[in-house]
Amino acid sequence: MNHTGEFLSNHLEMTNREGSSVINHKGDFLSLLRHANAPLQLGMPEITTQQRPIGDVEVTHSTTVITVRYDEGVMVAGDRRATAGTAVIYDRADKVLQIDNFSVLAISGSPAIAYEIARILEHSFQYFRRSQLQELSLEGKLRMLSRLIRENLSMALQGIGGVIPIFALYDTTSTEMHKGKIFFYDALGAHFENVDFATTGSGSIWIRGVLRYLNRWGETDLQDMEQRQATCTLLRLLETASEYDAATSGYNAAAQIFPTIKTVTAAGVQTLADEYLAECYAEAVS
Amino acid sequence: MRDEPYRWIEAIQDRRDYIEEQLRPGSPVVGLSYNEGIALVTLSTGQRKIFEVHDRIALSAIGHPADIERLRMLVTDTASLQGFQNATDDVNLHRLTHFVLAHTFKQAFESIVGEAYIIKMLLAELGGNPSENRWTLLNYDGNVHTETTASVIGGTEAIEAQMKNYLCTAANLETLSTPQTDRTLTNALHVCLKTWAFGRELSLQEGEPETDADTVSDEELRNVINEALDTSEIEAGVLERTQSGTSKFRLLHSNDIQPALDEW
Repeated sequence: MNHTGEFLSNHLEMTNREGSSVINHKGDFLSLLRHANAPLQLGMPEITTQQRPIGDVEVTHSTTVITVRYDEGVMVAGDRRATAGTAVIYDRADKVLQIDNFSVLAISGSPAIAYEIARILEHSFQYFRRSQLQELSLEGKLRMLSRLIRENLSMALQGIGGVIPIFALYDTTSTEMHKGKIFFYDALGAHFENVDFATTGSGSIWIRGVLRYLNRWGETDLQDMEQRQATCTLLRLLETASEYDAATSGYNAAAQIFPTIKTVTAAGVQTLADEYLAECYAEAVS
Repeated sequence: MRDEPYRWIEAIQDRRDYIEEQLRPGSPVVGLSYNEGIALVTLSTGQRKIFEVHDRIALSAIGHPADIERLRMLVTDTASLQGFQNATDDVNLHRLTHFVLAHTFKQAFESIVGEAYIIKMLLAELGGNPSENRWTLLNYDGNVHTETTASVIGGTEAIEAQMKNYLCTAANLETLSTPQTDRTLTNALHVCLKTWAFGRELSLQEGEPETDADTVSDEELRNVINEALDTSEIEAGVLERTQSGTSKFRLLHSNDIQPALDEW
């Protein structure tokens, strides 16, 4: 009896049956999970809207994320508040998640599903690279995220598990001058490339117009901003969103809680340090 | 055939001889720990021989390419599943080698009516500190052998034993598990390449290997490398503690390897 259970015996059985060929998942992690009798289940299909009226469960949500292209790549910022109805559940939530060396996922909506989507993405990209001996292409990565959002459609329709992410990355293979790329999604999984900026979450309606204004008539185009200027701009925008949206937190001076800001550049993904953000706050926000 | 023990033992011995003969010309693989991680080195002709299995685990093998591929996929799939269903920290080399691979190897080897795997595998795991590094060698018959600082796979057991002796001397180690923390990557690659060349020299000799580790000169070994480079190229992979992110594996570029050749 082997210790890895059913998966291994299936694997070997198939290997024997098919002679010299191995089971070929073609690098598809979801297919591997299905084969191991652990198919992906993001939602809870047995619950339907008829059985369970929307509104009697307080589901945790989270709120404003912004992504802009700046001169070195892309910068992604997210506030830290998670809410359920009018209650603040947590004020240190991380909504900007590193997926691999050159990409991050910024999430708004239900964190439970969003974290799971981020985890599946990370494992899928790694599995592809390890089994196929090459990185998954940009288009392949975008499609994978589309599939996961579509898998989650039933939850989104029930109003308890919707996730609308922004996928920001630095495309090392691109021949364009600016290699930072921002993609946003709708609830059905369609992806759109947004050239200069994207924002999502309940606070985003207050700042989308500001971003548009800055990009069109600002002194510097968003994509020409240096890191410090981009950081100050994003902090100001988050502060603005938190002013009007109760589900978005600003900078919490008493507890020293700063928003999460990550940069994705030729050097990979970096998280800006709290000390640096404190300086930017002192300089540009307060 | 199992009713006749003598014939069974004879058949197993024939199988062993056949596999050893097939493995003999294989390009050896040498692994050595250094201050920031562990390095796996070999020379290959077009086909990759060093693979990433999981965040902190790498694999290399000699043998039939189809068998290497089949077993590489088995271990990669198992590690990926375990890492996803539990947590990546729950994936470890001991579980993969002892609970998944060892008995798969043994079963295939001893069921004499079926096909045997022509393979010898070396797996490496990067520990939190150098004394927690693991090198596990899996033989085609399911035997497992683990060291902490360095390891070698070569065509035959005799070649392998001599390469291990050479590696200990060249790396200034008492045994392959002697802890060592101050080696640079360049030096580790240099020692691995020398050991590879020594093993290559042995595998090219007919019958019992005769080259003596004490008398072979650096220059002779360099010539072996130079000759091999006409048809193959150096392949080296590292698991590095300093690498950002969770995946610690990377394949080295030629400009990472060149300083090790210049050190000759």
